[in-house]
Amino acid sequence: MIYFDNGATTFPKPQSVVRAVCDTTRFFGANPGRSGHDMSLRASKIIYDCRKNAAEFFGTDDPENVVFTPNCTFALNTVIKGVLKKGDHAVISSLEHNAVARPLEFLKKYGISYSVADVVCGDDEQTLNNFRNAIKSNTRLLVCTGASNVFGIRPPVGRIAAMCKIYGILFCLDAAQTAGVVPVSVKDDGIDYLCAAGHKGLYGPMGTGVLVVNSDVVPDGLVQGGTGSMSADLNQPLALPDRLESGTPNLAGIAGLDEGIRFVRKRGEQRIFQKEIALSQRLYDGLSRIDGVELYAGRPGNNTHVPVVSFNIRGHDSEEIAALLNDRFNIAVRAGLHCAPLAHRSFDTVQRGTVRAVVSVFTQAAQIDYFVVCINKIIKLLSKKVAIDNKSVLK
Amino acid sequence: MENIITFASMTNAMRAKEALNKSRIYSRLIRTPARLRKGSCGYSLVVKSRFSQACGLIKELNIPYKEMIGDDAP
Repeated sequence: MIYFDNGATTFPKPQSVVRAVCDTTRFFGANPGRSGHDMSLRASKIIYDCRKNAAEFFGTDDPENVVFTPNCTFALNTVIKGVLKKGDHAVISSLEHNAVARPLEFLKKYGISYSVADVVCGDDEQTLNNFRNAIKSNTRLLVCTGASNVFGIRPPVGRIAAMCKIYGILFCLDAAQTAGVVPVSVKDDGIDYLCAAGHKGLYGPMGTGVLVVNSDVVPDGLVQGGTGSMSADLNQPLALPDRLESGTPNLAGIAGLDEGIRFVRKRGEQRIFQKEIALSQRLYDGLSRIDGVELYAGRPGNNTHVPVVSFNIRGHDSEEIAALLNDRFNIAVRAGLHCAPLAHRSFDTVQRGTVRAVVSVFTQAAQIDYFVVCINKIIKLLSKKVAIDNKSVLK
Repeated sequence: MENIITFASMTNAMRAKEALNKSRIYSRLIRTPARLRKGSCGYSLVVKSRFSQACGLIKELNIPYKEMIGDDAP
């Protein structure tokens, strides 16, 4: 199978990640941070090593500021539901995933409101103006994606973060699609909360996510429970990471995530990005030469996009194309709305969604070329089918 | 008497142990002994030598700790 569904989760994973998951499960599978025996301490060290690695990677001094979560959605919910109180207002971008939009919609019944600021592709000034105009006197939090998971567009998050500082608003970056591809430092870039998936550009296993807290405003967790610390106190410990990490952690997943981050750091985010954006441009260029293919958001640019290409075939639903790619050519892509209906409104693709092809560091140029050939064949196939259908109607 | 530094969380204890290691101060990570637990559980570092230096380093790095107990405790 040729795998272009890396926007959902990267596949394959580096061998070091697979090995770490297997070895941890086989040899060090004790509960970390709970007991005092050697294997439990070894397991705790695995967790700590990943915490430290992630802290360095995301530019925070203290490993305590790194909180492990089951996924990016959980991290975003922790921030949104932990920071906002009754009467507060939030601003989000028009490219947000449902991981951001749905918690805010849910909070409406608790007296919390939000506004959506339009991201204008290719016009950062207008985008900033839109964010500025959306801010109200009771705006407490601004959540913005590092890049659209549908169209790859990158809002000017550095400037948005700086604007938040001026207005005294907390800034949360959804780095689901950018972590491991676009370098970021919570300290240098003025990010109060960074939420990332561990299993996408960081090449860790599914079931891993990270929340990096770089603010004095520490949200209360969504979950309270055992932390292996301060057990006599029925109140949740206030200090990070225990405040936001209850219950047995995903040891094997975190061991894999640690190796995933090491893999990315060793290769270099810039190098990974350069390779992937070049492949995405090759794909975009190939598709743009085919009559009947509709492309969105412009050619992926080095400073304006992440390696995500969304397209449609004129007159056909995106799911139909994805199914043909899978059934006839053994190619994996994702179709539909990609859990981001807000983003589709900007491009009028809410009804039929888009076919999304996302490369990874393991993708080869030949696979891109083959993909383009397959899309050509699908268009010919579909036009023949239309001709036959028309004939039978005439009969 | 053993020189012990107690911590509320495993992460704090791990961070302190790592900092001490870098300064070549040997320490051993243990569950906090019953007599020091005060009804709560946590982790501690047993520091064999250069205890006052170890305590100073942990304070300097602002690593949260609960107690420093030993002959040379500051």
